[in-house]
Amino acid sequence: MLNSILDLLLKQIFGQPFLLMAIIVFIGYIAMKQKVSKAIAGAAKASIGIIVMGMGSGALIANFGKLLTALQNATGIQGAGLNTYPTMTAGYEKMDAILGEGTGAAWGIYTLLVAFILNLVFVALRKFTRIRAVYLTGNAMIVQAGISTYIVWRFLGLGMLPTVLIAAVVTALYWGICSTLLIEPTKKITGADFTVAHQQMVVDYIAYKVAPKIGNPEKDDIEKKKLPESLNFLQDNIIATALVMFVSTAIIMLVVGKDQIDWLRSAEGLNQGGLTNNVVFLVWISITLTANIVVLLSGVRMFVGELMMSFKGISEKLLPGAVAGVDCAAIFAFAPKSVVLGLLFGALGQIIGLVGLLVFKSPIFLVPGFIPLFFDNATIAIFANKFGGWKAAAVICTANGLVQILGSALAVKMMELTWWQGSADYATIWVAIIAIFKGIGSLLGIPIAG
Amino acid sequence: MLNILCVCGNGMGTSTILKISVKKICDEHNIDAAVESCSFGEALSFITTTDLVLTSPEWAGMLPPSSAVIAETKNLIDTAAVTETLLSAVKEHFPNEIK
Repeated sequence: MLNSILDLLLKQIFGQPFLLMAIIVFIGYIAMKQKVSKAIAGAAKASIGIIVMGMGSGALIANFGKLLTALQNATGIQGAGLNTYPTMTAGYEKMDAILGEGTGAAWGIYTLLVAFILNLVFVALRKFTRIRAVYLTGNAMIVQAGISTYIVWRFLGLGMLPTVLIAAVVTALYWGICSTLLIEPTKKITGADFTVAHQQMVVDYIAYKVAPKIGNPEKDDIEKKKLPESLNFLQDNIIATALVMFVSTAIIMLVVGKDQIDWLRSAEGLNQGGLTNNVVFLVWISITLTANIVVLLSGVRMFVGELMMSFKGISEKLLPGAVAGVDCAAIFAFAPKSVVLGLLFGALGQIIGLVGLLVFKSPIFLVPGFIPLFFDNATIAIFANKFGGWKAAAVICTANGLVQILGSALAVKMMELTWWQGSADYATIWVAIIAIFKGIGSLLGIPIAG
Repeated sequence: MLNILCVCGNGMGTSTILKISVKKICDEHNIDAAVESCSFGEALSFITTTDLVLTSPEWAGMLPPSSAVIAETKNLIDTAAVTETLLSAVKEHFPNEIK
């Protein structure tokens, strides 16, 4: 009897992400004194969002995995895609395979909650911690908390409580320290009182410090120069994703050759035996992968709004003096030309990196993603241009694109995932954090958990 | 009822915060509104049923053509500026929606 009640509570309710997220959102609404009917509607939407996200990411990981298998069969090269959300879900899939369906996401959500509370505690103790910012970018928080959970579990092989606690401490420190570092420079760019809380914060700070040494922010401010408007379409997230998928898939198909393409066509899940024309098949794959990402994003959007509403409300109530850390795109309107500049030079850096991987016969190849390429380099370019002009932005973004590829390749090597987060911080400081956990794990003789 | 759409680059971060503020502002000023958010790349699929789009000048220029009223403000997370932009747009184009 007791066992079945425990099973119901722990595994079937608090261990199931679609119910857990609904409960959190419901409590958030009630705590903010909203009507019960509104709370139920919000909870239901959050629940549906979790399932939609799972549909998108499940299909994406499976379909993209086929391409990577073909690449591996033909060349022996291990491939991985760079994108934030599927990295989290790929980690969860590995945890679920050992710990049971739904466990990964449930642990990840607990890490998210504990890390958010810790962030608030750090700010409450700002006299000692000097942390003043609360990280409120829900869409990035979910991914980062999830990846931290997977890192800790993979290398330390601990149970839920210690895994969640360790992952939450590391994540909350990253959020608090890095977004606090950006308060000053963000204020200089926007004149407003908020800070950037995203996934390239360390490199933003480096750009802020290094850019003045490279260029002249007065003379070379890109915002005062003219750029062709035809470049704007590159900022359309869906079109750009489709474009990157098309180019990457075309390269993979050229590399793997006819036999593997024929295998792909009839591979389980793809089932496109009828598309015998290779170009049509190529277009079908790139559009399908993009569609999978669009589904994933719309799922995330359904629960992230509800979650952020609660977090923002709680933070404003408990810590009215805290600086809100928000999505990097909030500063894009202040420097729209830097955004395009960052995208172009970041892409240049990533291309150099990818060519480098091929030339130096790296055992790993990466497929770039729109989120790490665009949002990171755009944000870094804004900081670099503001404090060092466009030449500094060009140099720093090219270097960053290169580092994103090389650092991510290292991360893929250690994490053995078919996806990696790929953004600037996850190709630098987080690679170091992974190496530290890996080192601790092997020092203590702990086998890799999965 | 007024259909309001909040638009930003990826339709995740900024537009979500904007949606939260817009809902709050509408509640406070008794504007009966349904608020949604998306990226400008997805705006095409929502904009035909939208009365009022709230976004920054950067994205406003790239929205697909529609009959929706476009209201823009630079700092989408500055509640005071968003309030002013939203209220003046509603007063100008949808005066009947304010109760």
